[in-house]
Amino acid sequence: MSAIRIDDLTKRYGEVLANDGISFDVDSGEIFGYLGPNGAGKTTTIRLLLGLIKPTSGTATILGTDIRDRRALTERKADVGYLPDSIGVEERLTGRQVLDYFARMRGDERRDELLELFHPPLEKPVETYSHGNIRMLGIVQAFMHDPEIAILDEPTSGLDPLKQDRLHQFLERERDAGKTIFFSSHVLSEVQRVCDRVGIIREGELVALEDIDALLERSGKRVWVHLAEPVDEARFATDEMIDLEIVDSAVQFTYTGEYNALIDHLGEFDIANVEITDPQLDEIFKHYYGEGTPMERTDGEPARGG
Amino acid sequence: MTAILRIESRKRVRGSVVLVGVFVLLSALYFAMFPSLSEEMEALEEAFPAFFFDLFGIEALHTIEGFIAAEIYSFFWVILVGIYFAYAGAGLIAADVADRTMDLTLSNPVSRESVILQKVAALWVPLVALNVGVATVVYVGALVIGESFDPVALAMVHLLSIPYLLVCAGIGLVLSVVADRPKTARSTAITLVFVCWLVDAVSGLDPDVEWIGAVTPSRYFDETAILVREEYAFADAGILLVAFLVLLGVALVLFTRRDI
Repeated sequence: MSAIRIDDLTKRYGEVLANDGISFDVDSGEIFGYLGPNGAGKTTTIRLLLGLIKPTSGTATILGTDIRDRRALTERKADVGYLPDSIGVEERLTGRQVLDYFARMRGDERRDELLELFHPPLEKPVETYSHGNIRMLGIVQAFMHDPEIAILDEPTSGLDPLKQDRLHQFLERERDAGKTIFFSSHVLSEVQRVCDRVGIIREGELVALEDIDALLERSGKRVWVHLAEPVDEARFATDEMIDLEIVDSAVQFTYTGEYNALIDHLGEFDIANVEITDPQLDEIFKHYYGEGTPMERTDGEPARGG
Repeated sequence: MTAILRIESRKRVRGSVVLVGVFVLLSALYFAMFPSLSEEMEALEEAFPAFFFDLFGIEALHTIEGFIAAEIYSFFWVILVGIYFAYAGAGLIAADVADRTMDLTLSNPVSRESVILQKVAALWVPLVALNVGVATVVYVGALVIGESFDPVALAMVHLLSIPYLLVCAGIGLVLSVVADRPKTARSTAITLVFVCWLVDAVSGLDPDVEWIGAVTPSRYFDETAILVREEYAFADAGILLVAFLVLLGVALVLFTRRDI
């Protein structure tokens, strides 16, 4: 069964299509990465799923509940955990009071277990928290009622690398226990590391939906070659090479063609050293977004889209 | 499901305590002045043009009831506390939407109706604190300076002001649901409550235009009539209560339909 089914979901803000006919399913028990630069429409999809905003057209279901059915969705939220991109809580309360507050509304049977992994200073008021502490508090509240689905918007932003790692491992354990994780990110390496499948969103449209492995495979190989002597670009380049760079006798490029053809082609040169690796998602991203890596794009979000 | 009510009630404590404190100071000031002023008040009433007293609905300034009705209730209660409730109402939704607190609140299995009702219900804190606190201060204050206040009239002025204050909060609440920014909601609510009071007061000066004030909430709460003449307008309070429920209904309908 699909934990989340998104069907032609559209959200329009005036002239801006924050989500433009998005359709995909998230299966039960998978970690789904929702990938795109800031302003692409990730947060809009998440806010639609939670019923915070209403779709212009199309719909979605969470655990079979239609997001347009307000009352049913309200009840369904007992099975959903949510970590917003920007966490708003009463800042004068201490971390413990914030957790108590959410616990009264949806339970906290896993609070202690989570606090062993993520430990914000519970006795201090939230207004004194660092970004990392706020994010840890957000993670604890998102999972403490043991939800079937966790919807996480940029969950690792603000966490130090150690805590990021800890979160990734935690998500994998949750997935193995049958929970569904939907998480948005513009950090490509983390999606590559933990996600089973990925949907890539660009300017409100879903441009790719694939297994991470298939995406990497289809995106070719990153090739680095050190030749015995300097080479002429016109002689070396083929149509299957992308982002070809030649500096003296060192060459690197992304190869998208047949492997046999690549080996045959390289055989025509005197090779001192060679390395063939999977491309980074950053490079795959470039093909969807053109020039300028997503990390550099921080242009304004269309009306709360993210 | 009272988690929101609890936390919202707690948020109201500080403001309520400060306001009660302000009234303690004001009352102390006016009660200290009254013994020496009461004799001059008759002269004052003759010296000032009548419209000045009509504007604030002031009469019988030389009695403790008239004096306190004029000094504490006509101005500070009707305008200042009215504005406080309008301000509090205007912050209920808009502030939470703006700082994204509402995102997490609504990620819980709690309906939007319940969020509004619990937030409005939390206004019991300032309502109880102010009405009990100020009534006590005024009653004790009068005894201290050797005067006495009719406890029934005093209780009534507070009881019948509750619907008025709720309407002020209701005006703020509707704006809070409609406005995109808390600042807009708050400033509009405060302005509206003040302008309504002004329209009521000014229109009351001329019988030909007095009807204009019929749409203002303060028209249905007359502190001087209650304290000086012991006239208790329960029907007017009923009108205010209905108006509050209508405003609450409008806010509920609008909030369940809007994006946050």
